[in-house]
Amino acid sequence: MKSIKRSAIAIFVVAAIFATVGCAAASNDVDSNPADSGADATATWSIPDADPVATITLLGLPDLIDGNMQPVLDAFAEAHPNITVVYQNVPFDALNAAIDAGVSAKNGTPDVYWADMPRIAALSARGYTTDLTKQFASYRDAWDDASYEGASVGDTLQGVPIANSSQILYYNKDLLDSAGVDYPSNDPNSRITWEGIKQNSKTLVADGAKNGIVFGQVDRYYQLQALPVSLGGSPGATGEGNLKPDITSEPWVKSMDFYGSLFAEGLSPRGITPEQNDQEFLDGNTAYYVQGPWFLPALNSSTINWGVALHPYFADGVPVTATGSWALAMNPFSQNKEATAIFMKWMSVDEGAGYIKYRPDAELPANKAGKDFYYAKDIFKSDEGGKAAKIIGFETGNTAVNRLSTVGYVEFESIVNRAFADIRNGTDARTALEAASTELETAWQTYK
Amino acid sequence: MTPKKRYKSARVKLIRADAQNGVYGPAVARPRALLRRFSRERHDLIWATVFLLPAMVAILSTRVWPTVGAISSSLHTGFPGGVREPVFSWFDNYVRLFENPAFIEMIVRTIAFNLVINPLQIAIALVVSLAMTRTIPFRGLWRTLVFIPATVPIVGSSIAWGVGLRSDGPVNAVISALGGTPQPFFTSPAQALASIILVATWIGVGYWMLFLIAGIEAIPKEYYEAAKIDRAGPIRTFFSITVPQLKRPLLFVLVACTVANFVLFVPIQLITNGGPQSSTTLLMFDAYRTTFGYGSRNLGAAEVVILTSIMLLFVALQFFLLREDREPKGGPR
Amino acid sequence: MTKSSFLSNSKVNIPATAIAVLLATVFILPALWILGGSLRPSGEIFGSISPLSWGTLFPSSVSLDNYTSLLSGGFATALGNSFVASILAVVVGLALSALASYALAALSFRGRSAIFAIIVVGFMVPFEAIAIPLSQQFGDWGLTNTVVGLVLPAIGNGLAIFNLRQYFLSLPNSLREAARIDGASEIRILWSIYVPNSGSALTNSGLLIFLGQWTSYLWPLLVINEQDLQVAPVALAKTFGEYSTDFGQNFAGAVMLALVPALLMFAMQRFFGGLAMSSGEK
Repeated sequence: MKSIKRSAIAIFVVAAIFATVGCAAASNDVDSNPADSGADATATWSIPDADPVATITLLGLPDLIDGNMQPVLDAFAEAHPNITVVYQNVPFDALNAAIDAGVSAKNGTPDVYWADMPRIAALSARGYTTDLTKQFASYRDAWDDASYEGASVGDTLQGVPIANSSQILYYNKDLLDSAGVDYPSNDPNSRITWEGIKQNSKTLVADGAKNGIVFGQVDRYYQLQALPVSLGGSPGATGEGNLKPDITSEPWVKSMDFYGSLFAEGLSPRGITPEQNDQEFLDGNTAYYVQGPWFLPALNSSTINWGVALHPYFADGVPVTATGSWALAMNPFSQNKEATAIFMKWMSVDEGAGYIKYRPDAELPANKAGKDFYYAKDIFKSDEGGKAAKIIGFETGNTAVNRLSTVGYVEFESIVNRAFADIRNGTDARTALEAASTELETAWQTYK
Repeated sequence: MTPKKRYKSARVKLIRADAQNGVYGPAVARPRALLRRFSRERHDLIWATVFLLPAMVAILSTRVWPTVGAISSSLHTGFPGGVREPVFSWFDNYVRLFENPAFIEMIVRTIAFNLVINPLQIAIALVVSLAMTRTIPFRGLWRTLVFIPATVPIVGSSIAWGVGLRSDGPVNAVISALGGTPQPFFTSPAQALASIILVATWIGVGYWMLFLIAGIEAIPKEYYEAAKIDRAGPIRTFFSITVPQLKRPLLFVLVACTVANFVLFVPIQLITNGGPQSSTTLLMFDAYRTTFGYGSRNLGAAEVVILTSIMLLFVALQFFLLREDREPKGGPR
Repeated sequence: MTKSSFLSNSKVNIPATAIAVLLATVFILPALWILGGSLRPSGEIFGSISPLSWGTLFPSSVSLDNYTSLLSGGFATALGNSFVASILAVVVGLALSALASYALAALSFRGRSAIFAIIVVGFMVPFEAIAIPLSQQFGDWGLTNTVVGLVLPAIGNGLAIFNLRQYFLSLPNSLREAARIDGASEIRILWSIYVPNSGSALTNSGLLIFLGQWTSYLWPLLVINEQDLQVAPVALAKTFGEYSTDFGQNFAGAVMLALVPALLMFAMQRFFGGLAMSSGEK
């Protein structure tokens, strides 16, 4: 067996020598602008009036059939027959790998892809996006301000927003009635507080409810950011380029102490993943449930006696809600920029956002005009549905706070989510946040 | 003559008889003197080249060459993901990794994990295989049932166990019914890694059982008969006959099991996401997160090189421990 | 207790039976839960977890809705693609492995250990580490969306070769020597002596290759982007939606994906289980 060991070592040594010799001549491109690596970002092109004949590839999340993308693509084909869209669909957890592999191959495919708005800064720094400020300058007012900012990096627009999101406080009327708890209010002046939720949850659980309060997006920065920011904390980082972690400030520690206490005191369950939370409410186990408007269709077809209310806030702070959703970004190596831009414009601007209009699913638009279609949908026709529409309108206009915009967003979200999970499982808030802050500084060294 | 020698010479006689009866093709008269060692070696080399060529082409192109690429990638640093060309920077990535105390902890954790789970899985698989090679009714059915966990997509298994070990889940319900206190399992830093071991073992044992069964069934029954004649008890028989005869399949399952557990990450990703408090953050999971989550391929490649090197050490040790120096290594020398 | 099972008139081993049944039950329970989950509406799966009852495992009303909706949503095509790819991988991969293992076990030549070491080290590198650059390379070679591109990495399975080599090593060399003396070619020896006597090792290696291709997720994701050509595990991942997960359908897919290798293994046990070398007189 010595010969095997020797052979193995020999192979590795040879390989290492091969690798080092072979790569000693590699390019030394430390400070080059990512956009210069083959992509022609400085070329002045604009959205033409007449459609070019072209075929473009779209990398997206919703399934063609189950996710109802087919009607959208059909509608586009009718409006712009010269442009053919080839659709590539990947599962949710594979999107980032697909973008990475696709764009870095530098062959222009896909031409346009689904981009998570908070990741736009990170995508842009990696050279995966195209600067669209000039080309879409005239359409700036079509979108909400928050959405426009969410898809921008500094002053430059790097993607077009196609969707938005908000948060609603759902509650189980039967559980609240049985415990003698008043319904939370829909009046912005008497919004329920987090402290009130905690107090009521104790009563509800004592009365027999399995879960007092559940966060639909538990352990996720998307939803939990609202807590520290409500107390006046920053979205998580400060300084130049938002690369200085700021998660150990008083508001962060205080809000996370509160969050952890909910689980420690049995008011919210441990060990249940976000995917299972919807079902807990639909099974009648949960009294208060914080989740997005996409939960409405499931509620409408359930037997739960449900109600909606404004998102809670800290008594000493300000109301804050989560927001932001998907945008479309253009591959800088795309060979069909004009056609792609026409498609992106149709999806996000034309007719109040083609994506929203022709897709039966209830996704909140980023487009101001698109909201008319959205609120006309059936899910808002019931009593509670109508209240939900008002809530969404109010929150997106007044309390929505975008997630952190930083080049290091990917690492940030991953590390902070794990800190939230640890806090949920019983770790002291300050300890968890300080550990996360250290980890974040190490991870962000790359960007400094 | 020992039973073994008796057995072997009987075999050769049978083969010779078959050969004479033309079972292996027309008998060509060839004086033994002509079979010189020299031409035999060349003959073997030519045939070996022909036989090995297709497999080696496949393995070199889909495994070895990309591995060289991965090693090379680990010697560059670049912007995490992105289209900027990475820069050659010798061992910067490795220095950066080893300077991070969290990384060292991760390596220690991974090594400890493997020191526990591999012998555990093989021992359990061995016990299972022994039971499954006795005379029992519906043997094929029981074997298949134990094997099924290995066929269920690991995503489904992870979800099932994630739910099963919930604080309000069935396992805790059984524990409560038996009078114990419900355990936190995946939500406790002390128990999470052990729970992962449980899931991985559930999945893997059926797999290794297959190979060990093949190994056990290949042991010539004459050995056991000889042992009975010598009045050896079951324990003695197990250690003097079964285990030595199983050395080859055992080496295989041990190595394969080690590789499988070193590269395990899906249950961690789906159930604990490396937590709580990084107690289930193993090297492969972190390498996957660095490469695919953060897009930092060069750093991820360095982690994978480190992981594979540690794995190689484990495997080399296993080859050493299960070497066969008394029996000839098959093939004339 | 150590009697070989091939003696026809031995009595049933009671303690071993008890252990075997117990083990089989423990191992199958979680899989049964997945099966139960696939036969009920997604919403009921988690509601029945606690309190623990028969309802946790057995749905009160069995429905095949999850199966029908999953299959009609393109999963049937994906299953077909998976099947074709896996069978192809096994046929080609097993042939390659048998040839290579024979060379590594029966022939003797300089560098035999080195080649074996390369093969062993080759399968130790986690595939995820090399998948992205390899897929880009395949893209350059025009192998995207092709069967060859999909199946090639599964064919060079070092583990299968390792397994067969270990088994071939246990076949006495005198067999080969005797056959060589009488003029048989190496191919003849492999085909007429080694292969017929290695039933269980061949099926195990075949199963390894099959499972490697059947369960692969990352590779098809990178190499195939046309939905009609996609394989089952990737198609199944769509049940994990952005906002909600259809667990019922996911479990139905998991059951279907598990069924094929399980049936294969069961069939192999019946047909090839007795072809080990020591199975008494020929």
